[in-house]
Amino acid sequence: MASAPSSATPVKVESGVAPLRAGQGHSFLLRRLHSLTGIVPIGFFLIEHFVSNAFATKGPGAYTKQVEFLSGFPFVVGLELFGIWLPILYHSLYGFYIWHRGESNVADYPWAGNWMYAAQRWTGAVAFFYMVWHTWHLRFSGVHILTYPASAFGKVQMEFQHPWAIAFYALGIICASWHFAYGLWLFAAKWGIAQGPIARRRWGYVCVIIAIGFIAVGAVTMYSFLTTPQQPYQPSAGDMDSFTMR
Amino acid sequence: MADTKSVLFKIRRQDSPDSKPHWEEFELPWHPGMNMISSMMEIARNPVTRDGKPTTPITYDSNCLEEVCGSCAMLINGKARMACSALVDKLEQPIRLEPLSKFPVIRDLSVDRSVLFENLKRVKAWVPVDGTYDLGSGPRVTMEAQEEAYPLSRCISCCICMEVCPQFNEHTGFVGAATISQVRLFNTHPTGAALKRERLEALMGDGGIQECGYAQNCVEACPKDIPLTTSISEVSGAVMTQAIGDLFRR
Repeated sequence: MASAPSSATPVKVESGVAPLRAGQGHSFLLRRLHSLTGIVPIGFFLIEHFVSNAFATKGPGAYTKQVEFLSGFPFVVGLELFGIWLPILYHSLYGFYIWHRGESNVADYPWAGNWMYAAQRWTGAVAFFYMVWHTWHLRFSGVHILTYPASAFGKVQMEFQHPWAIAFYALGIICASWHFAYGLWLFAAKWGIAQGPIARRRWGYVCVIIAIGFIAVGAVTMYSFLTTPQQPYQPSAGDMDSFTMR
Repeated sequence: MADTKSVLFKIRRQDSPDSKPHWEEFELPWHPGMNMISSMMEIARNPVTRDGKPTTPITYDSNCLEEVCGSCAMLINGKARMACSALVDKLEQPIRLEPLSKFPVIRDLSVDRSVLFENLKRVKAWVPVDGTYDLGSGPRVTMEAQEEAYPLSRCISCCICMEVCPQFNEHTGFVGAATISQVRLFNTHPTGAALKRERLEALMGDGGIQECGYAQNCVEACPKDIPLTTSISEVSGAVMTQAIGDLFRR
């Protein structure tokens, strides 16, 4: 009798979601760093990148001048490394880690915010793979445009030789714009800048305008590259010794 | 016509925390005003499945039957909500009842939601007034502050905000909206604010406020219409202010 399981035995349930680990770990720092890098420096870079490329609307000459201006910065590779590549790499990899740990449930709860939660992950992923392709083609292979700014316009035009490549560029621009604009909204909501529902809604309208603005600038820029006659993208004969074939 | 309307239920049963779940179907005669709890009470009176097999009454948590105790949260047709306020007439049939998916099942629809109480303890969600002598009356709370605090105090600890949150899971161990909102409530309280620093500090730990992905499901699903996203934003701001301030203070 004494060995019979007593009904008074408290139910001991293991597993389930762990309670808050107050005072433990570094996820707060890493997650906030992820959030911050999205704005500074990646967001700033994105603005610079869209503005610089929009010089294409003023013709190959103006575009070349802008590329010359950017490649003329002191410590330009250092600026690229610490201002662009490493922050984007961190933001992307930690972003994938965040995605991996979340359990999206839009099928069960198809609410607007939940869709945006999922969209932020998908647009981020598309933008990431787009950027890998884009930087490989334009920065790390073919004519080195930091050395030959005059080749830049033609080199970008060479990207648009195939309809699928044009589509991928358009998709990349849309995803990066959307991801950044909604990221701005999330930043304000998560850092306690826009706290109340009205403030968040108003900021949301601003972010939609920002997204549309970026997409529009991207579209106009692409249009300029597509409608201008193909520019030479091989450096002049005198520079041929340092020219690398694609 | 003699055919009386009937109501079909598909209920996920599980005999013990480690046993495998299985489904059972029940058919009940329809009558006006039926809800999930009244239906399961009816099943308990005559625990026979739809195909005539005798079974056990369904185990579930419930108490107040008027959406204020928070105990009867479950998945109804796949969505987390309170069983007492879920009316048969407003649901598609067969009505599927399942336990909350992110909490360990104790039996049938009864789950262990103690993680919320653990979390509330870790953020010290109380007003520290223990003492050995009469402390006198507390500070006055303005009408404005009361109006902000009251909606937060309506939390019934049902855990629905956590169940619907994509970030609340075993990978993140996210604390969830309810606890964050209680931090706001007790930090707003003039006497409760004594523990403000400790509460915000606790929310910087692993599984803390940073895990919020702002999908905003919590505020959509909350049966008590608590402004949970506003709480998260406000407490996030306070946490950031403290974290950045500490960089210079410490």
